[in-house]
Order: sequence, then structure tokens, then C-alpha cells
Amino acid sequence: MRTITLGIALFALLVSSVIFLGQAPVPSPGIGNPLGPMVSGTDFSGSWRWLNHQDATLFTAAGDIADWGGIPLNDAARLYALSWQASRQTLKQQQCMGYVPPYTWMSPGNHRLWEERDPFTQRLTAIRYWGQIAQVDRTVYMDGRPHPPAYAPHTFAGFSTGKFEGNILTVTTTHIKRGWLRANGAPQSDAATVTEHLIRHGDTVTILAVVNDPVYLTEPMSKTSLLFRQPVAPDAWLYACDDSEQIPGRKNEYVPNHLFGQNPFVREYADKNRVPLLGAFGGRETMYPEFLAAVKDNTAAETAAKARMLPSGPRQASRAPDPTPNDGNIHVFHVAGSVYMLAGDGANIAVQVGPQGALVVDTGGGKLSDKVLAEIGKLSSKPIQFIVNTSFHADHVGGNKKLQAAGTDPSLTGSFFSNQFADAGQGATVIGHLNVQTRMQEQKPPLDTPPSDTYMEDRRRKYHNEESVEIFPMPDAITDGDSIVHFRRSDVIVAGDIFTTTQYPFIDTKNGGSLQGEIQALNFILDRTLYQHDEDGGTLIIPGHGRVTNEWEVAEYRDMLVIFRDRVQSMIRAGATLEQVKAARPTVDFDVRFGATSGSWTTDMFVEAVYTSLKNPAK
Amino acid sequence: MSRSLLVLFVVFAASLNGHAQGRGGGRGAAPPTARAAAPFDMAGYWVSIVGEDWRWRMFPNKGDYAGVPLNAEGRRVADTWDPAKDEAAGEQCKAYGAPGIMRIPGRIHVTWQDDETLKIETDAGRQTRLFRFGAAPAAGADIQGVSKAEWELARPGLGFAIAGDRRGSQAGSLKVMTTNLRPGYLRRNGVPYSGNAKLTEYYDVVKEANGDTYLVLTSTVEDPMYLFQPMITAAHFKKQADAAGWNPAACAVR
Repeated sequence: MRTITLGIALFALLVSSVIFLGQAPVPSPGIGNPLGPMVSGTDFSGSWRWLNHQDATLFTAAGDIADWGGIPLNDAARLYALSWQASRQTLKQQQCMGYVPPYTWMSPGNHRLWEERDPFTQRLTAIRYWGQIAQVDRTVYMDGRPHPPAYAPHTFAGFSTGKFEGNILTVTTTHIKRGWLRANGAPQSDAATVTEHLIRHGDTVTILAVVNDPVYLTEPMSKTSLLFRQPVAPDAWLYACDDSEQIPGRKNEYVPNHLFGQNPFVREYADKNRVPLLGAFGGRETMYPEFLAAVKDNTAAETAAKARMLPSGPRQASRAPDPTPNDGNIHVFHVAGSVYMLAGDGANIAVQVGPQGALVVDTGGGKLSDKVLAEIGKLSSKPIQFIVNTSFHADHVGGNKKLQAAGTDPSLTGSFFSNQFADAGQGATVIGHLNVQTRMQEQKPPLDTPPSDTYMEDRRRKYHNEESVEIFPMPDAITDGDSIVHFRRSDVIVAGDIFTTTQYPFIDTKNGGSLQGEIQALNFILDRTLYQHDEDGGTLIIPGHGRVTNEWEVAEYRDMLVIFRDRVQSMIRAGATLEQVKAARPTVDFDVRFGATSGSWTTDMFVEAVYTSLKNPAK
Repeated sequence: MSRSLLVLFVVFAASLNGHAQGRGGGRGAAPPTARAAAPFDMAGYWVSIVGEDWRWRMFPNKGDYAGVPLNAEGRRVADTWDPAKDEAAGEQCKAYGAPGIMRIPGRIHVTWQDDETLKIETDAGRQTRLFRFGAAPAAGADIQGVSKAEWELARPGLGFAIAGDRRGSQAGSLKVMTTNLRPGYLRRNGVPYSGNAKLTEYYDVVKEANGDTYLVLTSTVEDPMYLFQPMITAAHFKKQADAAGWNPAACAVR
């Protein structure tokens, strides 16, 4: 018995030594451990509320116009904010806008954090967050999974992974929608990544957030927020939000905005609080102690502030990374239901699969058609039956020849078409607006394999692969032959070049495109979409180029074009020439997101298309 | 059987004790100094990033005490603040005391005065704070008060976790409790704290992927004379490679 006891004791000593001494210096596994950590560095579980002992006037949806001190806004961001009008929040898609990190920490409602653990291993797989305001639902994955590809959708909460660094939880978030650094017009772009460090001391959590936004910040913005533990869990956790028209009869192409230099509220905050206007405008210098000396000379500071109300400096190109893969491979993304997006060969390709042959929308640039076919073959056991072309542009129809030839349309074989056409059913049927066929044939040399099944009516419809498919022509938008395709059961809209996330719309005025038609087309899309909650989810959009989105990004794109229209229209009314309009830089606040100073579609070319559209509106 | 359990308990407790010694805490060795036990290195120059409370820290105005949980007496004192009187009385530094100084835009220089005393110098107001580990010496009240410091090391949770699951033993926070303060201002606009105020601070260091290092300060001021609840705020500083921008300046009332 004594021997057994001693043996047990020695074993216990061995085990405990390994656990408590030998392993203590081993770094936290966190990221990279596919199982997730066993213990938390700190347990953040509980109900919390934002502590307003600092930044008391800046909680959600608040903050005066031009109260941006301490934010390293660049010139484009400042002009964006000065153009922003608070009544823009009355627009449908703005009413239920979600909250992005880190701004979400400052929402005044209730916050809840809790841990999720694997029921079999008790490993920490995720830390969850729920914010009452806008029902922010965040998951911080602790299991080491990678972030999604760049062409995946963004949400307001973004995609977060976390790791414990000692007692500090560090969260990295990507795939965030365009939101607010401060809900008084100071934008955070959809290219931003956010790092949050959560530190708990007793009943207080301090969050240091660092925002890296190549589009709207000159350097990372860092800021603390505080949460205080609520001893009794509150019972208010929901935020019912359904949008509605706030001003009956208002046209859907009205977007409240201030023209540059004409914001009547620009001085209100600075004057009321005896703050230099230059400081209220933000900028990296306002973050540092030296700023106090920089505004000692009131006259110079005021002059500098006034200069910042108007565009200046060199033209800017987009600083947002292009999400389109460019590695010579085709990348497949499941969008929803039976619809997939294939990216990597020119314009995006959509593929709908089911018990019938695949229905393909656009065929890309044609350089990687063999790989496109190989990927479609993995998705569908049946050959391609239909191809729909949303545009005649080469990056949308370049793969027509190969994809058409590889397919077959069994609906024609044995039908009366067989009596008229010996090759009926051989090859997929290519569908497109009549003007796509015409434009493809007019090219020199003509483009291969134009649509053989054309339409001119307001809606072409088809029930295919167990869902309703609607094809709508969008007259006079990018060209005079564009279409969008709505897969109704999957609830996915393929927008073609009517909407892209990578550049200004390629309004091809020489082939019938116009700004007005483009705005109408975007509004048409918005009339067909729904969101799941707070402008996330619901109807998903495959753009002509770029990443999958939902209606939020389409509405933002529409708003941007309406704002440009208002600015250029105002200048045309004042007698401005095209060169004067270009020099005034009416797109300056969005150039850092969508602009180009070189390539096939520069900002200057886009401004010229806007000017031409407005100067010579279609009758 | 009960004897077996006793043996197990003793062995288990011994291993716990060994762990609790931390770095350099081997049996029979002298306990490590505060400097040696530091879970992170605070030494160097840091610049305050005015990312929070910008208007109140940069351009404080009389009567603007939004966010401060002032009681009626606190509001009365703040509303009747007369900067000229402070200047006439030679009290230019009342906003530069421990509860206020760390939020005044400026730079701090952190050094070890000795193995048990961490020194923070500020260029704003040319102040010096001394954080003493172990027993704090008795001292008369001045604007920086008496600060007692300790490392709050992050302890791994107890339990039989498998290898590799433990949090690193290097992690932790610096906790500083300051009392014996002379009355002063929470902000440079006459928002008061009393001589009975108690300040608790936590200092943490975080690193960004790009190499930026931040010092995060969470402060709680308890002062029933002027506050109806403890005031909790945070501030942060960015690590500098050198003394660039270090610009000692005298206290200023306005």
C-alpha cells in the first residue's frame, strides 16, 4: 500500500511539474491551433454597456458636423464628410445601416460577450459579441481559420479572428462594409482592417482599436473605448428596423448632399466649442501634442482650414486592393442557393446549376476558358445549356465561343427547331439583348458567337433548374444592350457592369450608355432587393467586376453617382466647360476608392462620360 | 487512503508554489526585483495619441465637463473656476497632478529610478511621477501624491490543461494606486478633484503587426466630494524610438 501511495505521489509530482513548470513559458497557441485554446487569457463573458466618461457626445449616430479632431482623415475623407448631409439617413438603405467595428463599441445600447466551446473538447472555438443597436452579431473565431478570399462578401461586423496575448485579447477584422469612423460623415472605407485589443480590469474592459484604412486615413487611427459590466443582465437586446419612405413622393434618384464649399453647418461645432476649425477638420496632425502649437496663429490656421474645404492636390487613384484574383486560375465562390461566381478571367462569371444543364451568365475574357469549363464541370454534371450575355464588351463575351461549343441545349433537340436547323441543340443557346448581338456583329472584326436567342421586351423569363430566372434589359446604362439576371429562388442578381466594386461605371456613351440610364438601372436593382437584417444579407449581387455584395454597396454606388450628377449639373448650369469640370475634380472624395489615373478607364474618361450624358441627355 | 490523499495534496501544493515563484524565483533565491519581474518593458519615450476626448484634452473650456460624473458641488466649483486666481496664487500646475496629467497632450519618459521605483517624467508641466513597488514611503501631499505600484501578472487558470494550452507567464499589467494628493483638476478647465481623491491606474502594452507599440492606460478616480460615481477613462501612448518631440514646458493655466 505504501509503495502504491508513493507511486501515485511521484506520478502526481511529474504531471503537475509538467503542467505548472515545464509548460508555463510555452507561447499561447491561439491562431494556428486548429482546435482553439483550452483556456481564455481573460474571460470577457457578460453583459456590458458603453461607458461615456470619455467622448461623451460621440455615441452612436451623434457628433456634430465637422467634429473630427483626432482622426487622421485624408483630404478625400474630409471632403466626403463635408459633402455628407445628415438627411441622407432618410434614404431607405441608410435607415437600417449596421455598425462597423470599432465604432460599434460606442453604441449606447447593451453589449454581450460570451464564449463558445466545442462540446466534446471544451476548446474555445469562438468569442461571440452581440450589440443591441443594429443587432450587431460578431463572431471572433479562435480556432485558427483563415480569413475569406478578397472576393467574398463584406458585412458590417466583418470577419474576425482572435488570439490571446497573455491577458489581452487581440482581434483582427477584415471584410468590413463601408461604415463610420464617426456617424457625422467621417467615413471608414470597405478596405479598412481593424485590430482591437481588449483588456479587462475587474468590471471594466478597455478596448484599444487601431483602424488601418488605406482609402480614407493617412495613418492608422487609434482610439480607446470603455465597457462597464452590468451586474444584472438587461432584457433589451433587439433593434427592430424596417425601412420605409420618409418623404412620400420623393424621387429615388434624390440623395441629399452638400456641394463642395457650401456646407452651411461647417463652423457650428468649432464656434460653439471654441475649437479651431482646422482642428475640427481632423487630420493626422490633430492626433499629436504639436497641434496645439500649430494653431497658435489663428489667422494662418483659419486660412489653412478654408483651403481644406475645396479639392486640391494631385489626382488620386484607388487605394483599395482589387479583390479580383489574378493568378491565372479560376476561383469559385458559392454565392447562394444554386448560384456560384467564377472569378479570374475578365468579368465575373455566374453559374447556376441543377438537374438541367448549367445556365451561365457571361463568359469572361476568354483567356482561361478551358479552366472555366473545368470548374463548371465540377459544379454541374450536365453540360452548359444556356449562356446569357449581360453586355457585348469583350471581357463579358470573350469565352462565348468555347463555352457555347462545349454545351448543348437538349430543349431544342427533337423540337420543331430540328426541322429548320440541322445543328439545333448542338452547343449551348446564347441569350442576349438584340443590341448585344448587333454590337458584337458590328465590331471589326466581329466578336465570336453573338447571342442567337435575342430579346427586346422588358423582361425575358425562364424557369430553369427549378427556379425562376428573369432577365431584364437596362437600356442606356453602360451601353444600350445591358441586362441583369435575377435568380429568384437563390435570390441572386447578376448585375453585369451596371455595378462593379472596383471602378467607376464604364459608361460607354459611344454605344448608347448614359449616367442617367446607369442611375435608373441601379435603382431598378434596388427595387428588387431585400436585406436580411440591418443592410446585411438578403439578396446577393454578383457585380461585373469585384466582390459579391448585397444591396448596401449598390445603394452606395447609386448615391455616389447621384452626388456626381448634382455636382457636374451644377457646374454645367454655371456654364462650365468639360475642361473646367475636370479641373474642379467633382469625384475627388471617391477617387481614392474607385478612381484611376492610368489604364483603360481613367477618372478623366469617366468625368467626360458624366459631362457628356448631362450635356446631351437622351431624348 | 487518507494518508495517500494527504501526500498527493502536499506534492500538488509544492508544485503550485514552485510555479508561483515565477521567473528567477527558485527555492532559496531572493525574490526578483520589481524591475526584473516586469512582464513588459515600459522604459522609453512615448507620445500621447489624442484619439479620445479630443476637444476636452486639446481645447478645454470652462464649464465643459461633459462625461465627468460631477455631483452638484463639483459642478459648482467647475462653474466658478477662475484661472486668473490660480495664476495669482502660483497654482498653475493644478491640472498637472496625477489624476489629470496623463491625459494632457504631451510626451512621457519612463525610466527605472532604481530596481523598485519606476519614474515617469512628462514634458507637459515638467512633472515627475514615482511608482514605488513594495512599501511606499510616507510622504506629504503634493500634486503627484504617493503612488504604490505592483505587477498584476496574468495567471493561467487552474486545472489540468494539456501541454501548450497555458497562457504565457510573461503577461500582466502594471497597477498603480495613488493617494495623498493635493486638490487639483481632472481637466485643464477647473473640473475639480479633492485631496481625498484616490486614483487607480492600469498600464498595459500592446503591439501591432506593423511594429507599432502602444501603452494603454485605464484610470479610475474615486472622489465622493466631487464625483457621484468613480470616473473611468482611458488614454494611450505610442512608443517612440527616441526623444524626438520631447519639449518640456511649464504648467499653464490656459
